[in-house]
Amino acid sequence: MGLTGPQSMSGLPKEELGGELRLGDIPLSQTVELVRIDLPPERAEPLLERGVLPGCRICPVRSSPAGDPIISVDGSLLALRRETANCLCVRLLSDFSQESQ
Amino acid sequence: MRDLSTPPEGSASASAQIENETRSPLIALIGPPNSGKTTLFNRLTGLRQKVANYPGVTVEKYVGQVQCDLERTVELVDLPGIHGFSARTLDERVTRDALEGRLEDLRAPDAVVLIVDCTRLESQLMLVEPVLKLELPTLLVLNMWDELEERGGNLDHMELAHLLGVKVVKTNARVGLGVDQVKDFLSGVEIRHRGLPPPVRVLNNVPRGVPLPMIDAFTARRRRVDKVVDRASFVQPGPARSTERLDAVFLHRIWGPLVFLAVVVVVFQSIFTWAVPLMDGVELLITSSGEWLASRLSDGWFRSLLIDGVWAGVGSVVVFLPQILVLFLFLGILEDSGYMARAAVIADRVMYRVGLQGRAFLPLLSGYACAIPAILAARTVEDERDRLATIFITPFMTCSARLPVYALLIAAFIPDRRLLGPLMSYRAAVLLGLYGLGIMAAVVTAFLLKRTLLRAEPGSFVMDLPPYRLPSARSIGLRLLDRSKIFLKRAGRVIFAVAIVLWMLTQFPRLDTGPPPIEDSALGRIGQVIEPAIEPLGFDWRIGVGLVTSLAAREVIVGTLGTIYGVEGATDDSITLQETLRRDLTLPAAIGLLVFFAFALQCMSTVAVMRRETGGWKWPILQFSYMLFLAYSGAFIAVRLF
Ligand SMILES: Nc1nc2c(ncn2[C@@H]2O[C@H](COP(=O)(O)OP(=O)(O)O)[C@@H](O)[C@H]2O)c(=O)[nH]1
Ligand SMILES: [Mg+2]
Repeated sequence: MGLTGPQSMSGLPKEELGGELRLGDIPLSQTVELVRIDLPPERAEPLLERGVLPGCRICPVRSSPAGDPIISVDGSLLALRRETANCLCVRLLSDFSQESQ
Repeated sequence: MRDLSTPPEGSASASAQIENETRSPLIALIGPPNSGKTTLFNRLTGLRQKVANYPGVTVEKYVGQVQCDLERTVELVDLPGIHGFSARTLDERVTRDALEGRLEDLRAPDAVVLIVDCTRLESQLMLVEPVLKLELPTLLVLNMWDELEERGGNLDHMELAHLLGVKVVKTNARVGLGVDQVKDFLSGVEIRHRGLPPPVRVLNNVPRGVPLPMIDAFTARRRRVDKVVDRASFVQPGPARSTERLDAVFLHRIWGPLVFLAVVVVVFQSIFTWAVPLMDGVELLITSSGEWLASRLSDGWFRSLLIDGVWAGVGSVVVFLPQILVLFLFLGILEDSGYMARAAVIADRVMYRVGLQGRAFLPLLSGYACAIPAILAARTVEDERDRLATIFITPFMTCSARLPVYALLIAAFIPDRRLLGPLMSYRAAVLLGLYGLGIMAAVVTAFLLKRTLLRAEPGSFVMDLPPYRLPSARSIGLRLLDRSKIFLKRAGRVIFAVAIVLWMLTQFPRLDTGPPPIEDSALGRIGQVIEPAIEPLGFDWRIGVGLVTSLAAREVIVGTLGTIYGVEGATDDSITLQETLRRDLTLPAAIGLLVFFAFALQCMSTVAVMRRETGGWKWPILQFSYMLFLAYSGAFIAVRLF
């Protein structure tokens, strides 16, 4: 909680050239927008069906005892493996970038 | 009623017409998992429901009658929960086939009730578009309306109905609010296309002929849903606070695994200690009723068949009913409360290492009572390879049918001495060792399978975590009733037939004086035929007969040995049977026999369920041979070790 404004960025890994932010890198309670799913269609489908679609808002709310992310999407709680989370490219939602595009 | 719209075209269509006139409309109830389908179904049908299996696959089919008013009833079918129509999982396949009218046993539905959890409307409404393509009369049920309001959400359901062009009802299926409106819809459903075969429409996640990549197709569909939801002024409810608080404990780094272990221990405890008095009661009931019946019948072959064959055979299986019910009571509570999904998340990392996934935890746990419901439960494992691996290793879990065999042999051969102070005796250690052996075999097998036959990249494990809810006694009670029916039906059919065949084999070839001595009977001869094969394990033909009869069900060996040794009414704690066994079997051979039973797939019902669940003989034959191989080599080694 309380991660708003520029301070929140400092805890995050820098977006490297070519590299992007992955869901697995996002601290708890930081809402992000899904940009791309780097998975073959068959393995992406369970995610798509549950509302994890490019453009959706995702918030990691907790991590499992083994450190896998538990996310909130559209009011549903979903548990992922960190391997899966690392295939989800995300973008930060800073307060001003919400009207992008 | 529409009438005489089709000209008679000979007897075939005439009879089809008659059939149509007598049948009532069929309505399919579909929706995502956990949206409240079963709760609504039970509300609507009460006890007027029956469970059956679809042919081909063992997906249980729940069909119930809904009494709309005095003279009108319709039929409702509760289909497996789905997220989409890609038919990736067995559940999705069945639901899709049912909607398209392609299931053999189920006619095409005349209308659809789509039920969704309205607290997460957007993702749930992704099903609307494909369902509307069916062009069937459709009702959209916005369930969990109470939770939506409680958590500060809102929705203009009239506007939603208008935008989607379907009837919409808001419900709280748990307490029955709005259910009458659902009934109104059902009572208005007419049988369609009388005399004509129902049109087959193809449901798909991705519209056909659209060259969009799948992800784009989904995104486009989602945009349309979002637009509708926005215009219906949907306000997403806030997070469920109680769920957050409970998850802080149940998914806590330290408490989480501890609670998990406690739950597993309680489930085991319930199967193995709390269920025992109930099982003893049932056993007493069966034996005393058998005796009562025997005293009414005159001595002769019929009494022998009825009492020694059928009563004893069916009885030996029915005693497990309390245990299975206790297990399902606990599993039902865990599932309905929402904890089971958390348990799957906690188990996932361990399962992942073996090559499985967290969803396999529930089936494997059920396997400790009985492999059959466990194999059915594995349907929730989304990845097909993972599901196959899960059901392949399920019979290694020490099911309760092995217990009477273990109990008999342990009591007969293992001394009742302390091993580690007061906590553990030799006997308990052996029993624990047998459980461990099963787990080890399961782990190694899963590991091997996932690297050979079922090799695949690790799937993307996505698990829905429903909010915690108080389980309702009504729905759990109904489920237990179902379970009992299914179990008794099975006991009644399979075991009944096997009991009769076995009894016949002991009666022939008949001598003038009556049935032959057991070693000359057909059964005894079968034992002698296989004796050379099991001699290296230290078993003689008597055990051989037991191994053959226990193919029907493992615990049958106890009764068979009783019959062979001429011990009346043998059970696993019968002293005479233990003494006779000690004369005939060496200690190493007894341990070999225990190991054999730990591994071998001595259960034809499991083989039959495997065939249905995998859609062919390949997997059950492979599984049976593999387990037999392990059992034989395990016993072979054990006999030489001890
Ligand atoms: N609060 C609330 N809970 C509900 C409602 N309908 C169902 N439930 C609960 O939701 C859970 C899942 O319901 P179930 O019928 O098993 O869902 P299914 O998976 O779609 O068959 C159960 O614990 C129900 O008691 C409802 O309208 N309101
Ligand atoms: Mg259900």
